[in-house]
Amino acid sequence: MHPLALSGNYRIAAGIVLGILFGILLIKSGLAWRKTLMDIFNLKDASFLKTFLVSVSVGTALFYFAQRLELVNINFRPVYFWGALSGGILAGVGASICGLFPSSAVASAASGRSYAVWVIIGMLLAMPATGMLSKFLSKTIYSWSAPFNFCERLDGYFSGGMAVIWISSISIILTLFLHFTIGSGGGEEG
Amino acid sequence: MIKFITGKWSFYISGVVIAFLFVLTLYILDTPVGMSDAYLMLSEYCRDFIYKRRIDELPMLDWQTGFLGGILIGALIASIVGGEWKFKIFPEGGSSKGFVGFSVITPLQGIAGGFLVMLGLQLAGDSFLGQWAAAIQLSTGAWIFLLTALIFGGLTTFLLSLKAGEAGKGKKGGD
Repeated sequence: MHPLALSGNYRIAAGIVLGILFGILLIKSGLAWRKTLMDIFNLKDASFLKTFLVSVSVGTALFYFAQRLELVNINFRPVYFWGALSGGILAGVGASICGLFPSSAVASAASGRSYAVWVIIGMLLAMPATGMLSKFLSKTIYSWSAPFNFCERLDGYFSGGMAVIWISSISIILTLFLHFTIGSGGGEEG
Repeated sequence: MIKFITGKWSFYISGVVIAFLFVLTLYILDTPVGMSDAYLMLSEYCRDFIYKRRIDELPMLDWQTGFLGGILIGALIASIVGGEWKFKIFPEGGSSKGFVGFSVITPLQGIAGGFLVMLGLQLAGDSFLGQWAAAIQLSTGAWIFLLTALIFGGLTTFLLSLKAGEAGKGKKGGD
């Protein structure tokens, strides 16, 4: 067995259908709302984090078995340590200001939240800015070495399928912890 | 069944569905999940339009552009069916209201926040959904990115609330 890896018009059609499914998911789960993300930063409602942790606990196991059956290949863009760290800082600060990320901004705008359009404009402006900074970035954060033995995958720090078991287990424990401490405040948008 | 279609999903249903969708996307397309290329193309298209003040040709439709458009369609359908489509000018929980809020604060917050989020994502090398999908593939970089974003998002929110004099009031449901 191997991935379908559709091409041509089938690939575009699949992209649209998957986008529709993700769009529905973003609205139904409440991830499209600014309040959902802001509430986890304010420690008022952990719905966002719990959704993430459940997806990780299920997804890592699902991906592991799908990979063993050769249904999927490992497919993510290479990430540099300093790029991930500095990117995380900037994205975290930005998210605490606007409360949205690219896909949720699109979903939010589609559901009538006109303020999300400003967020999309800001995101579009960041693209040429990154292009302008590319030479500087490749000489700095992309060329600095990581302060520890940086393996591309967490598998590198564990043997066999232990990484999957650890990540899945920790995610489940954290989900339960969040559920019984911070909980969910209903998640309805104001 | 009707409640499932029209109602809000709990975190465990959402989490399972998103995990399934990520793996399904990898199976169908065999490529990293995300739409940063679509945003890049859209950004270049907008820049060309602003410089030239005319539309030569429409942007090329690839799977990422389709994915972006699909999210728009899916969100529109889900919000209408679920009765959640509302026209809102101000973000919920935002303290900015009135003319100044409408014309200055809301756009400024949105543009600055969006700019930083996308700049951070570009530095890390992928979109948010891409980082999320990479995290379930056990990418070390994605985990560093997501944990850092969570910590610094929380810290910034705390500092902003301190500055706004909201800290310590302990107001419930203040949004």
